[in-house]
Amino acid sequence: MTALLEFSQVSKAFGGVLAVDELSFTLDRGELVGLIGPNGAGKTTVFNLASGVQRLSRGEVLFRGVKISATSPTRIARSGIARTFQNIRLFRSLTVLEHVLVAQSCRSASLLTQMLPFASATDRTLRRQALAVLEVFGLADRRDELAVHLPYGGQRRLEIARAIATAPELLLLDEPAAGLNDSETAELSGILETLRAQGYTILLVEHDMNLVMRLCSRILVLNFGRLIASGTPAEVRGSQEVIDAYLGVAD
Amino acid sequence: MFEQQVINGITLGSTYALVAIGYTLVLGVLNKLNLAHGELFMVGAFTGIAVARLGAPLPVSLVAAFAVSGLVAVAIERSCFYPLRNASFLSPMLSTIAFGILLQNLVSQFFGSDPSRFPDTGSSFQLTLGTLTVSAIHIVILATAFGLMIGIDLLIRKTRWGIAVRATSDDAETAAQQGMHPSRVTMTTFFVSGALAGVAGMLTTLVYSQVTPHIGIRQGLIGMVAMVIGGLGNLRGAMIGGLAIGLVETMNDAYFSAGYRDLVIFAIFFAFLIVKPEGLFPAHHSR
Amino acid sequence: MNIYLEGVLAAMGINILLALSARAILATDRLSLGNAGFMAIGAYVSAYLTVSLGWDLYPAIAVGGSAAAAIGLLVGLPVLRLQGIYFVMGTLAFGEVVRTFFQNFEPTGGAYGMRGMFGTTLTMIYVFVAAFLVLFLALGRSRLGYVADALHDDDEAARSIGINVDLLRLLAFAWGGLIAGIAGALFAHYALYIESGNFNFLVSANAVLFVILGGVQTVWGAILGAVIFSLLPEGLRFLADWRLSAYGVILVGLMILRPEGILTRAMLRRLAGFFVRKP
Ligand SMILES: Nc1ncnc2c1ncn2[C@@H]1O[C@H](COP(=O)(O)OP(=O)(O)O)[C@@H](O)[C@H]1O
Ligand SMILES: [Mg+2]
Repeated sequence: MTALLEFSQVSKAFGGVLAVDELSFTLDRGELVGLIGPNGAGKTTVFNLASGVQRLSRGEVLFRGVKISATSPTRIARSGIARTFQNIRLFRSLTVLEHVLVAQSCRSASLLTQMLPFASATDRTLRRQALAVLEVFGLADRRDELAVHLPYGGQRRLEIARAIATAPELLLLDEPAAGLNDSETAELSGILETLRAQGYTILLVEHDMNLVMRLCSRILVLNFGRLIASGTPAEVRGSQEVIDAYLGVAD
Repeated sequence: MFEQQVINGITLGSTYALVAIGYTLVLGVLNKLNLAHGELFMVGAFTGIAVARLGAPLPVSLVAAFAVSGLVAVAIERSCFYPLRNASFLSPMLSTIAFGILLQNLVSQFFGSDPSRFPDTGSSFQLTLGTLTVSAIHIVILATAFGLMIGIDLLIRKTRWGIAVRATSDDAETAAQQGMHPSRVTMTTFFVSGALAGVAGMLTTLVYSQVTPHIGIRQGLIGMVAMVIGGLGNLRGAMIGGLAIGLVETMNDAYFSAGYRDLVIFAIFFAFLIVKPEGLFPAHHSR
Repeated sequence: MNIYLEGVLAAMGINILLALSARAILATDRLSLGNAGFMAIGAYVSAYLTVSLGWDLYPAIAVGGSAAAAIGLLVGLPVLRLQGIYFVMGTLAFGEVVRTFFQNFEPTGGAYGMRGMFGTTLTMIYVFVAAFLVLFLALGRSRLGYVADALHDDDEAARSIGINVDLLRLLAFAWGGLIAGIAGALFAHYALYIESGNFNFLVSANAVLFVILGGVQTVWGAILGAVIFSLLPEGLRFLADWRLSAYGVILVGLMILRPEGILTRAMLRRLAGFFVRKP
């Protein structure tokens, strides 16, 4: 069976800087894999390449065995890859609930059905589903507030909720625990476990090593755009190269 | 006579270049459009006329146009750009349109909406080189415009002020951190930008003896075209762009049809934006 | 109704349509300074149809508007690849190309302009205003309303959830073209005489000013802006020849004092708590 996501010899250059350098890896369905590495290692760039925001310089990205490295971000999102952003990017003028609604509709709805009045029957179903999503993320009781008024942790969770609402198969999470306090991190950890149990495939970029080591079945370690190690948390923790490059400098 | 057209084209183009330089300087420093820039040309033209009517000699008119347009440009900066420095680039742009309406109306109050003319300079001197004739007026225009172009080029490349302007254009934040006073750099840039446009306006009235308070719109647009052709933020590119349009315009009038002049220029403008938006000479700093 | 008042109201109605046209494009986070070009296309195409081909007014308006929308699609494809200042200049260039084209195009009078159009009534203008307003409000309450908000707020995040940002921008551009084209057709058959100078860059700029100063967040802001700034120069008539100066000063001042426009969403929500969904 083909891997869900495959990076094959992928490089991405910014001027002279190789942000990603001959990177190859695969993700299988249902895996929760960590992607770690020091700042500037190229993790966000990997996400940008997988979601089509940036074009790779060399190599190929395959999703379900199909090449997506020349596909538009819109198409990639519709085909089942959803992402969050390291620096939160919520919609300034939308409420919490509207974030989920807008993400739901874009998957399949044609332009014409989108122009139907908001109160149509299908919308009531979608609304119910949207509320269910917000329930999972602990945001249901703030559904009518503007998203930008949520506390930081709430905004991080809403980013994931919005991604989930597109009904993806693969979820790319860019530092979802960054800036969260302990209780918020615990809450996030619970959510990630739920998502894993629900069968989402997740690629997790995160600096919180406790979180990564505990949740991930496999970890990929990047440094200067190159994969310097990969394996189970125990294997990665034991690798001298990783300790030198990363763990030594992280907190 | 082809050579004659070239001289005429370069003369006209040199005034366009002065307008384009100012446009591109401001755009470089702020990354915003001053849509009242053409009005500074108009203000310069009328300042020159007013001073000449008082009987002052030509150089005095030139200096007056330089100073008044420069100061009006600073006023534009203070009222349209500085208060809106944190807003989107669209807000100051729209403000400058309103400021332009104000300037047009003010000038109409003093000069009327009908064409005004520059008092006769009384010079009938002509330089004849073979089949070419170059009038004194052309020489004044060419000398002033090219003198200013060389001057501004030196200022930008060699002086502390020029370094500050270039640094701010490359990266305003870093420049400010290194102690360059952003507000002062911006104001002086506006002054220079307005002064050059004002001189261009004053020079133009010498040839096209008639001007109205509404000439600024076209001049501003032409300056923008020249700037785009030369590459946004590129000083020398703007000069070349201005000269190129001057040549296109005179050649069009001579060999094609004067009626199509603006259609040709704006079609070139549109084509550049679609096919080569970075212009002929992209500025080194990409933004 | 006295002729002066009727003229002011007609101009106001046309301005409202132009403001709606500018807003259609602004709603996708792009500012067009070329809508006068669309207006010119609608005006000249419809005028040619009624004057030279003897068409009835309504089909001529429809074709004029559609021609502007079609040009919007065609021009939008390359121009919408531009961003920021470049997009603004691209639309400005488009508007100027259209204007200078009609200045030279003999079949529609060239530099002499065109006359012989008639038939637009005040009622007709405001029927179109009402119809477009209803459409805007309906779209604002539809799912497309959120989608437009999302792509306006954050282009990249919108793409990441599958919103077809480029297609929507193109359609919005053509939609803006349609409205301005219809405004142009109505204008041509009201003014009785048109020339290319009627469609200069300041017309495009004014349309955008109405929206920004009225308030860009809601469609009511566009309408309020068009109403206020159509009436303001009339209200300033006591200043005689100075009124455009005063107009300029007021615009610059307003931009400083209320950069988000007169009417904001928050204000509208407070004004009308019964609005489930902002328009
Ligand atoms: N858009 C860009 N332009 C230029 N350089 C970039 C860009 N994005 C990332 N880089 C560079 O690529 C490298 C990897 O960045 P990034 O993927 O953001 O790292 P990480 O997410 O691991 O911290 C860094 O050196 C960064 O400066
Ligand atoms: Mg990163």
